[in-house]
Amino acid sequence: MDAFQGLITGFQVALSWEGILFVLIGVIVGTLIGMMPGLGPISAIAIMIPITYGMDPAPALVMMAGVYYGAVFGGSTSSILLNAPGISGTVATSFDGYPMAQQGKAGKALAIAAVASFFGGTVSVIMLMLLAPALSSVAISFGPPAYFALMLMGLTAISSLSEGSTIKAMISAVAGIMVVTIGIDPQTGTQRFTFGSVNLFDGFDFLIIALGLFAIAEVCMLVLNRRNRSLSDDQKLGSIKLSKQDLKEMSGPMTRQSFVGFILGVLPGAGATIASFISYIFEKKIAKNPEEFGKGSIKGLAAPESSNNAATSGAFVPLLSLGIPGSGTTAVMLGAFLVLGVQPGPLLMTDRPEIFWGIIASMYLGNIFLLVLNLPLIPYLAKILSIPRPLLISLVIMFSLIGVYSISFNTFDLYMLLVFGALGFAMRIFSFPAPPFILAFILGGMMEQAFRQSMTISNGSLAIFVNSPLPLSLILIALLSLVLPAFIKWRSRRNLLKQQ
Amino acid sequence: MLSTINRRIGLLLFLIASGYLFLSYQLPNYPYSPVDADVIPKGLGFLMILLSILLFFSRAVETEAEKAKRNIPKKELLVLLAVFGMIFVYILLFEIIGFIVMTMIFIFFSSWFLGYRAFKTNIIVSILFPIVMYAIFVYALGISLPRGIIPL
Repeated sequence: MDAFQGLITGFQVALSWEGILFVLIGVIVGTLIGMMPGLGPISAIAIMIPITYGMDPAPALVMMAGVYYGAVFGGSTSSILLNAPGISGTVATSFDGYPMAQQGKAGKALAIAAVASFFGGTVSVIMLMLLAPALSSVAISFGPPAYFALMLMGLTAISSLSEGSTIKAMISAVAGIMVVTIGIDPQTGTQRFTFGSVNLFDGFDFLIIALGLFAIAEVCMLVLNRRNRSLSDDQKLGSIKLSKQDLKEMSGPMTRQSFVGFILGVLPGAGATIASFISYIFEKKIAKNPEEFGKGSIKGLAAPESSNNAATSGAFVPLLSLGIPGSGTTAVMLGAFLVLGVQPGPLLMTDRPEIFWGIIASMYLGNIFLLVLNLPLIPYLAKILSIPRPLLISLVIMFSLIGVYSISFNTFDLYMLLVFGALGFAMRIFSFPAPPFILAFILGGMMEQAFRQSMTISNGSLAIFVNSPLPLSLILIALLSLVLPAFIKWRSRRNLLKQQ
Repeated sequence: MLSTINRRIGLLLFLIASGYLFLSYQLPNYPYSPVDADVIPKGLGFLMILLSILLFFSRAVETEAEKAKRNIPKKELLVLLAVFGMIFVYILLFEIIGFIVMTMIFIFFSSWFLGYRAFKTNIIVSILFPIVMYAIFVYALGISLPRGIIPL
């Protein structure tokens, strides 16, 4: 099946009534959850996973993808209106979006964000469509050593790119793999760390980890910030019309940053947050009047918005074609695939073309929906921001509890949800990043399997990882991504000391 | 010795990693298999011990923002603890009393406890939410939730 035929198959899925309905549900739910300050795309996806039980995989995954990019789309609304980013990928949006709103141009800011997001999303879907099949056909020849090295690179990349201390990010990642070793080893049947408890035989379901480490931990932060301002009824949004001059001004940053965002989205470890910051700094550096940035610049708003949405589709490239997520959010997406019995990877394109192409085709549709939904309806959608925090907290707790209960109908899992919620909260308080943990948890099992397969092939010799060029170069990149930032830090500290 | 928070966390992680490593050495391994079930856990245990030592001796100074993040008033911690307590009670009882009734009670009281005083809205949400969720899960998705004392 060539790409053109594939895309036709995809549009058949996306444009069926089921496809349209679930894309719509996905993007609306994603937008609404993404808007809530404190609740990110990981929580949005994890909360929606139980809804997909028993559904046909193609429409279910089309919906989940919609939740993801819808959340990134929606995150900008609270950044602009409340200066409280809905998700970390839209922090940079608030730099110029909030000042613009304070000048009484909230409507215009929302419109710019919507158009830039649409543009970034659409450009990167086109690139996803071109790149994912190509990567799939290359990846089909990857053996276990290459896969192991790829995953290792993903983990080191996310650790070194995490905010704050790299050591803490690595601890987070190692802890994630440690948790996945609990349960019966799938290859030998040995019980590991189960203490004989039947409840631990199957290990922890990833939904417990995702909802605990993110949704429940985010609820804890909401409890602490429950008195923060929510949207007041009398807040005026102003006109949402954009002039030709506005569109002209944003076209440059939008086009450039869509590409930057896409590339950063494809690379492991980066994702929407880093993409939006880099794009913001990029545009500020090349701008003729950089002093306008931070005071309500159209360019400063369009750049991170096109970039974070482009990164979102970009992140689907490694997920769909290699089956390896590069970020915390795509790790939970991978979980959503596995729940439905779909294994993404190089075979997905040929074995399940309706899913592979369906998701890609649905993204065109989803971005159009988001634009249409966001432009005229944004004043109404933004009303959700006026939901009182205490009520929101209670409802999110309930969604998480129902979600976990519906996997196993076992209250033990609910207690574990509380335990991981407390852990996630402690990690936030003590500045340990949570995305490396969830990525490691998802990749851990696959990594162990790839490692053991490699060792079986090589009869126990580690040389298999360095004898062929691909695994060797990936492992070198992985090491470099850990050592390089530390080296740069050390050098800048030394220079600082010299100056003093 | 335990002057900074990173040192205390480092020590705690060291202890946890040692426990994990100890348990890893109890795992059985069989001859003729190049990599048995114990290899990865042992590797992880040593890696964690190394990382905890690195954290203990790291010279990174806590930034003001990081300090502010963990500086939570005691009263707020108690509020959080109470929310966890309510969830605990919910889990303990909802299979016995049933999803709908327990969820109604939980939403109403936790929202009220956290400072939501719009009495009427709170009651409406606490009644509607569990019923709608129950309908979606049980009738639309075919996932059964505990009925408890209500004969539905």
